[in-house]
Formats: sequence, structure tokens, C-alpha cells
Amino acid sequence: MIEIQRNRIDVEAVVDSVRRNDAGAIVVFLGTVRADPDVRALDYEVYKPMAVRTLTELAERAREKFGVLELSIVHRAGRVPVGGDSAVIACAAAHRSEAFAACSWVMDEVKRIVPIWKTEAGPAKRRARRP
Amino acid sequence: MQIQVRLFATYREIVGEGQLAWTFRDGTTVGQLVEAVLAKYPRLLGHEKSMVLAVNHEVVRLDVVLREGDEVALLPPVSGGRR
Repeated sequence: MIEIQRNRIDVEAVVDSVRRNDAGAIVVFLGTVRADPDVRALDYEVYKPMAVRTLTELAERAREKFGVLELSIVHRAGRVPVGGDSAVIACAAAHRSEAFAACSWVMDEVKRIVPIWKTEAGPAKRRARRP
Repeated sequence: MQIQVRLFATYREIVGEGQLAWTFRDGTTVGQLVEAVLAKYPRLLGHEKSMVLAVNHEVVRLDVVLREGDEVALLPPVSGGRR
């Protein structure tokens, strides 16, 4: 499951999308919007067709690199309030070490190469969030 | 030939639009398109070193020759974030 969506992410549905009988571990990562001073939400701008293509390639590379069985990535677009989930990654593997490694690697790559930009939204401000 | 130019985040804010339809002569490269965009929107100058360029959703180099109907995206560095 590779998706960019404006509505809330159903975490359980993402986890279910990677369940397999030959998996001994599922690692799930949730990226959440942190309450920095004066920040009420983050606005995510996404170049959707390229983001979906890049996420699909990342999932494929993670399968090859770590031998994971299934991998799903769902990312929000638009406004996500403080405390909300902005990204969910679920990774199923035969053993937990590959699942942890793949999940961590994929999230780093999402931050590095997927065309998604975030802007802080607060009471009276709108600025790009620093890395 | 007609080329769609897409701009995102800070570049979109600088230019004031996220999508431009632009006509170029045949044989124009991605680099020449970028030069034309920078000439028309000089406030983008200084961003070109960190700019990532994509044609039809794939990252490309400056010497790629454009074709009719291509979509060229000028992408600022993505948001990043600490681990």
C-alpha cells in the first residue's frame, strides 16, 4: 500500500496491509506532528505523482536491500494538527531485525528524496519548518 | 513546443503560481528552461544550486532535451528533519 491522502490515516488498515503468515515481525513507524512553540499544525505540500512513484521505488528497494516481505507507506497531504499522524510505515519481515532496519531506512529516505514539503501553521505565522 | 512547468513550496511562493504553460523551441534542454525561468523570475536566482529538476516525475540532469508535452518540475530541497 502506497498512498498520499488528505484524510486521517487508518493505522490498523496500514498494518493489516502487510500481514502475512510467513512474517514473524511487523514494525510500524508513525511520524507525528510535534508541538513546537506557536505551532498548531503542519501543512504538507506534495508533488503527488512523483511522490507516489518515489515511494513505490523505495518500497521495492527496501524489499531487495533488507529482504522484507511487505512494506506500506502512507503520507498525509494538507494540514495535519499537532498530535496527528503525518506518515505511517509498516514493514513485515521474517525476523524483527530486518523489519526495524528497513522501516528506519525507508523513513530516512522519505525525508531525503520524496517531494514533500512542510510549512508550520500557527496563530499568525506560516514558515517552512527547518530540518 | 509546449512544456508544463511546475513549481513547489518556496519556488511557488516566489513565482506566485504553481503551474506555468511555456512554449520553447525544439531541442531545448532542461538547463535552458531553468535559465529562462530564472531570467523571468530573478527572485529565484540563488536557488539554482539546491534546485532538483524532474521531467515527467523523474529526476534528470540539465542536459536532457525536452519533448512536446513534457512536465518539468522545479523542486526545492525537501523538508528533511532530524532522526
